[in-house]
Amino acid sequence: MIEVNGLTKRFGSIQALRDVSFKVEPGQIVGFLGANGAGKTTTMDIMCGCIGADSGSAKIAGFDIMDQPLEAKRRLGYLPDVAPLHLEMRVADYVTFAARLHKVPAVQLRKQVDDALDRLSLGDVRHRLVGNLSKGYRQRVALAQAIVHNPEVLILDEPTEGLDPNQILHIRELIKSLAGQHTIILSSHILSEVQNTCDRIVIIHNGVVVQQGSVEELARQAEAGRIYRMRVANNVDQLARDLGAINQLSGVRLTDPKNGELEFGLAKAADEQVITEVSKVVVNGSYGLRELTLKTHSLEDVFFQLTH
Amino acid sequence: MTAVFTIAWRDIRATFASPKGCAIFFFFLGFMGVFFYSFLHTFVDITQRAPMYGGEAPTLEQLLRALFYNLHFILVLVIPAVTMSSFSEERRNQTIRLLQTSPVTATQIVLGKFIATAAILALVLACSSVYPLYIKAFGNPDGSLILTSYLGIFLLMCAQLAFGLWVSSMTTNQFMAFLFTMFGLFLLLILNWLAPSFNSGSLFEGVLKYIASTDHLDMFFKGMLTVNDTAYFVCFAALFLFFTNVVLDSQRWR
Repeated sequence: MIEVNGLTKRFGSIQALRDVSFKVEPGQIVGFLGANGAGKTTTMDIMCGCIGADSGSAKIAGFDIMDQPLEAKRRLGYLPDVAPLHLEMRVADYVTFAARLHKVPAVQLRKQVDDALDRLSLGDVRHRLVGNLSKGYRQRVALAQAIVHNPEVLILDEPTEGLDPNQILHIRELIKSLAGQHTIILSSHILSEVQNTCDRIVIIHNGVVVQQGSVEELARQAEAGRIYRMRVANNVDQLARDLGAINQLSGVRLTDPKNGELEFGLAKAADEQVITEVSKVVVNGSYGLRELTLKTHSLEDVFFQLTH
Repeated sequence: MTAVFTIAWRDIRATFASPKGCAIFFFFLGFMGVFFYSFLHTFVDITQRAPMYGGEAPTLEQLLRALFYNLHFILVLVIPAVTMSSFSEERRNQTIRLLQTSPVTATQIVLGKFIATAAILALVLACSSVYPLYIKAFGNPDGSLILTSYLGIFLLMCAQLAFGLWVSSMTTNQFMAFLFTMFGLFLLLILNWLAPSFNSGSLFEGVLKYIASTDHLDMFFKGMLTVNDTAYFVCFAALFLFFTNVVLDSQRWR
């Protein structure tokens, strides 16, 4: 449904994107994850035809955004990072304007506008000026603008930015409910958000796609890279040597010998069974176990490892 | 074409949703009223004194012509105020993204903005016709002269708007857009006064004189429609609308 191929973009001396490629299947929700300035917005701007790429192409529903912009844009709903709101318009008028621009037939206009307003629970404020609304409401108006013409592809740039926790939950539910009939790409620098709503994740860093896969795949990868921290009462140096002998562990190192702290990770092929062995070594050697914790967990670390 | 009118209609409504719309009417009609009063006063004065000096009394057509030439000055001040926000404001608060990601072409956006500004000013011009109509009601000037003069002013206005839109499309700063548009239009207005200071009779002087907007109004104000002058204004407007289109398209490549 969305096909991005080898996008490269340079702003003066800054290389914003380098060979960014990914694919999104119909009905999927894909999270586009990256730190601030990683190139998320630039990629989205190129996909929507706001700016051109130096090389590479983006296809929306089979239409190239550069060669057939009108066909591609007709199937596209975009929520930019700065909501494109006309503050002097009334909510319903604004959404109607967006629907008209996207060539919604006149007979369906009213119904689709009402539908979009309902979905975002904006019915109560439909006659108010956009400029008089709070930030959360404005974000929802901007989202209504993006979905009013029932686009096949929705591109949302940080849709929950600046909302309160309740509203974030609401928007998340909404995005999930849109999946299936729409193909959605949403960007975020908050991992938990992407983890909760998306089927697939694309991680971008310094303009390069460093990792992509389903949430499960990335989580499995996180598992393999798990790091444990252990604190024992005595003889930590000896313990480090003992653990070093177990070849399913990797990277055993003392972090704080005075307090008896060390760290170890699991080797690639290892599973959690190896922890049993570790505990045997500790108990048999009477090191006096005080603490064994999983230092790393979940996607947070894949993200951290990839972007640092 | 629907897209063009959708964009234009939104802009027109936005102008009248803010005090800007009222301010444009106020200053345009206010200025014109002051000029009208002053000219009428002078006209009556000279008419009364003319027999004493044995001269001929001025005609009503001369009064009208003076009034219309002054409209040119007023437009130089009002046009920049109307066009300055067209693109620069949208670019500044990023609402242009809505247009850029909609299935509309750059040409449709430019035409929409142009029609919006032209419609607003056409409305102002229509209101300003109370002054010539006042003269018509109490005197007997040539009626067709009023019509051709208005046509000339309308064409001039379209040319100036196209120039203003072009300037506005190149900046995100409304004030800069205002300033550059005003100085550009003012230069165009005084170009035929400046022209003689260059080698008189040279080609350069001729070209400058042709570019100047002032002389092209003479025939309209005498009640005559000429292909030459009409073509000048239409080509001027088309050229700058084309430039605006190029600027808008090129923004995708930066």
